[in-house]
Amino acid sequence: MISSDRNLSESKLSLAISYLLTAGVVTSLILMAVGILLFYFQFGNLAISEKKVMFLQEKNFFYFLYDLLKGGNSQEKSLWIMTLGITVLILTPFARVILSVVYFFLEKDFKFSLITLWVLLILTLSLATH
Amino acid sequence: MEESFLLNNKISSMLSMVSLLLGSIPVGFLGALTGLGGASILIPILVSMGIPVKEAIACGMASIIATSSGSAVSYVRERIANVRVAMFLEMFTTVGAIVGATITTMISPLFLYFFFAAFLASSFLKSRGTVSQSATSSEWPDGVSRWLNLQGSYFDEAHGKRIDYKVSHPLLGGGGMLLAGLAAGMLGIGAGAFKVTVQENILKLPPKVSSTTSNFIIGMTALAGTSVYLYSGFLNLTLMGPMAVGTTIGAFLGGRVLNKLGNRTLRVLFSLIVIFLIVQMIYKGVRSL
Repeated sequence: MISSDRNLSESKLSLAISYLLTAGVVTSLILMAVGILLFYFQFGNLAISEKKVMFLQEKNFFYFLYDLLKGGNSQEKSLWIMTLGITVLILTPFARVILSVVYFFLEKDFKFSLITLWVLLILTLSLATH
Repeated sequence: MEESFLLNNKISSMLSMVSLLLGSIPVGFLGALTGLGGASILIPILVSMGIPVKEAIACGMASIIATSSGSAVSYVRERIANVRVAMFLEMFTTVGAIVGATITTMISPLFLYFFFAAFLASSFLKSRGTVSQSATSSEWPDGVSRWLNLQGSYFDEAHGKRIDYKVSHPLLGGGGMLLAGLAAGMLGIGAGAFKVTVQENILKLPPKVSSTTSNFIIGMTALAGTSVYLYSGFLNLTLMGPMAVGTTIGAFLGGRVLNKLGNRTLRVLFSLIVIFLIVQMIYKGVRSL
């Protein structure tokens, strides 16, 4: 009964993915909502702003992440928290791919290890070197 | 970027983070009900309120990561979405999205209004959920499909039974997904209707598996597109935060009532919204000629 073994272990993967996605999305939305609230206390308004500081721009996401966690170049707490929320959002599907690669590798399913590794490679390259 | 500063004073005074957040809730709700997705509806509205089109697209793309990942959770846990098939197809959609988003950052905004309108129009072509559910066959329809063991089964509550299926023409379907990813990355939307069309007609996935799997894939595709927009500096914090929070709440609520609405109501709603959005985008495009 290889197929039912596979079914059982794949439901573990599905469960792990669903926890990961929930945690990532909920954390990120809360951070963004808190950021918006702080923005109001800091600036006294909630206007959609086209000022340059409102735009995220980074050549390398991983360097950006390191910078952000260090306290970042953003002086404003509210913007820092909103940025953190978006970063968590970006990292959620990314972590999902890493989880899948590890899972398929441990399951010795090398075809799917390669498939998920390809997606991981594409995303990493796009985030890092663009 | 220059475009953003030029249009600075054209943004409607009605638009603030509060109105955007609150307005995004019904938009996310309708997006989930009609299958259009929140971003497809929100981007034309933002554009008509004076937000530069590339900025609206970039923020739409980022907020989709949240809506899609959030609503995929229950389908993945209940194992209706096929995670294996999704990961196979993501090989194609992520590449498409990166290419599509890169094109958007380079071309004139003028093209984007018309591409957006044209893509919305194409959602009318969506197959009418062909009922011809092929009977469970033990034959593999395709060599690649067998090699990768692309099959699945799920418990259909409406029919009260387990439904088994095997994937046909995975490579052709992958090609279709490359196009879906391209459109999604270019326009900052999920392109869910297009993905579902490919999955039902080429891959022969059952409708429920198709829509839930497509939803799951959209999160990854959106990440690929977002990575390009992050680099290009089109991601506006004051837009993206309220959009992501609002549309995700709306989509969550929409998913709850989806099964309670009649198909006819949905079809009429869908047509009205799509026509309105097409007119909006064409108007904007013609005016900026």
